[in-house]
Amino acid sequence: MARLAHAFAIENPLIKSDVIEVQEFPALAQTYAVRGVPKTVMGTVSRLAGVAPQVQFVGAVPEPEFLARVLEAGVKETSEET
Amino acid sequence: MPIIPDRDRDDLKRDFRKELKDDVTIRLFSQGSSLLAIPGRECKYCPQTQELMEELTSLSPKLHLEVYDFYNQVEEREQYGVERIPAIVMGKNGDSRLKFYGIPMGYEFATIVEDIKTLSRGVSPLSMDTRKRLRKVNQEVHIQVFVTPN
Repeated sequence: MARLAHAFAIENPLIKSDVIEVQEFPALAQTYAVRGVPKTVMGTVSRLAGVAPQVQFVGAVPEPEFLARVLEAGVKETSEET
Repeated sequence: MPIIPDRDRDDLKRDFRKELKDDVTIRLFSQGSSLLAIPGRECKYCPQTQELMEELTSLSPKLHLEVYDFYNQVEEREQYGVERIPAIVMGKNGDSRLKFYGIPMGYEFATIVEDIKTLSRGVSPLSMDTRKRLRKVNQEVHIQVFVTPN
């Protein structure tokens, strides 16, 4: 997942991606309730609220599914009321 | 004793010579050596991560390493959005959208090598369809992938 996440960030300037070694940062792993790896967490970036996780999953997924998850987190319909 | 074994160094050198096009800068945020251990500021893997990145960037004249002190270079830390150390920062045209927190060993070392190649060649490993559909993204997205060393 690490490679895909980085490839997506290289491709689209609206995406940034971090790969994190859980054992070195246990507090962060706890914040995101990491119990299995690879665990992927995605969220839109809001200046006020920080990162609000919208999508999370454990395990490796193929490129099309990873894309679907990124679109889920990063596409907001302009007509949508939330 | 180098971290990257001799055989791998030779393979990587050859690989980089063949595949790298543009220069790539790796920014490493680490910790300056201090005689005093400051509680809460221990960074067990900082020295080893720095050694690994020094070895890696020495394998091609197109690779450059910049090392920053997380605690003393606050301006750079904020500019590149670094939240913890060790942090490896890469990006297209000097930006900082790719980060690796921790020491990249094993499979994750290969991730760094792939990132370097992708950035240097400007050729995406993603399919045409993925790249096309990715243009629909209209919000900033932060992806975090948690991994374990292997």
